[in-house]
Amino acid sequence: MDLQQIKETRKNSITVGYLFDSNKERLRLKALNGETGFGKEIRDKNIHRPGLALAGYVELFTFNRVQIFGNTEMRYLRHLTLQERIKSFETILQFEIPCMIVTGENTLDPELLTIASERGVAVFQSPFETTKLVYFLGDFLDDQFAPQTVLHGSFLDVYGIGVLMTGRSGIGKSEIALDLVERGHRLVADDVVMVIRKGEGILMGAGSDVVKHFMEIRGLGLIDVRAVFGVRAIRFQKRVEVIVELEEWRQEGEYTRTGLDHDNISLLGVSIPHIKLPIFPGKNITVIVEVIALDYLLKHYGYDAAKAFAKRLDAAISEKNKGRRAIDYFEHDFE
Amino acid sequence: MITRDVTIRNRAGLHTRPAAAIVKLAAKYKAEFWIEKDGVEINGKSIIGVMTLAAEQGSTLSLRFEGPDEGAFAEAMAQLFESAFGEPT
Repeated sequence: MDLQQIKETRKNSITVGYLFDSNKERLRLKALNGETGFGKEIRDKNIHRPGLALAGYVELFTFNRVQIFGNTEMRYLRHLTLQERIKSFETILQFEIPCMIVTGENTLDPELLTIASERGVAVFQSPFETTKLVYFLGDFLDDQFAPQTVLHGSFLDVYGIGVLMTGRSGIGKSEIALDLVERGHRLVADDVVMVIRKGEGILMGAGSDVVKHFMEIRGLGLIDVRAVFGVRAIRFQKRVEVIVELEEWRQEGEYTRTGLDHDNISLLGVSIPHIKLPIFPGKNITVIVEVIALDYLLKHYGYDAAKAFAKRLDAAISEKNKGRRAIDYFEHDFE
Repeated sequence: MITRDVTIRNRAGLHTRPAAAIVKLAAKYKAEFWIEKDGVEINGKSIIGVMTLAAEQGSTLSLRFEGPDEGAFAEAMAQLFESAFGEPT
């Protein structure tokens, strides 16, 4: 599979009802005006606090975002007379607002709630303070609108490193995955890996809800890895950290010999180390995949074997005595 | 590259048996084979992939073939979908 050609999708919108249902427990949301405005769509992953707009300055008012009413907004409204308050509230409601969330111990006047209901705008209440709510809700919206894709491959946690193996159908990805699971590593997904971009530089991979931890072994059929190997053999999601592309060894293929020239690949706009691994009968890919994971760990902790070797070689070249034994004199060690 | 849109005609949808029929037929050809439904594209040679689609009767799938024998492949695959996998419609 050509990883450069993958189909990237992302949601254009979610409904206010979906936002409420997905977060009502986590953020302890209460719908203050029933299911009013549940059909409205949210198209922006950002959140907005409408302080300035309430004060009447509506230029650059990002009304299409979820509007959060925290202490600042509520205290501003409270210092106005009821008449002014209604006017101020109506100022922002002349725009198409998806929904509002009132945070902390603040509540909305019944008069204002009625106006929101008339305009078909949902008002929720959360006991969380504004910063916390913005943090959690921001993470949820970021996840909902993140670019995502579906890849054909096997995805495992090997020594804590998320290794995604790709390669043509039938090359033996599932068999290697099974071998790795047998050796104590954990399967995230086989054949269908859903990858989503989190934040700016993180890719998370998971299986699909239908398939979960089933895999197909040619000639055997479907296997439920969780049932066979137990809960220790699986996990539900993992950060994608290395991509290993398996391919048949080709005479004319170009493979790295030193490891100094590994390429990164761009997946959903995130740069990920990419290793092309030629395979042929009798080659133990499982062990190589384990070494890839361990080598990645070493690099992560600041040790790059290829660079260390190159440095040692450079030092030897500048020295006079070359090609000496590693140890000069064995001191009567005849073992 | 050849693309072709097909519809699931049998009542039971794309369950295990038709999924197996699809990947068995696909395994006979060299070309790469992808199936897309609702923006999700999977490898048509993987039974897990095909079953992930959970395609119900009446849903439309977009098939994509790429490789040396793509013409014959596309023809045979379209026929399999057309036959409703030999199941009641």
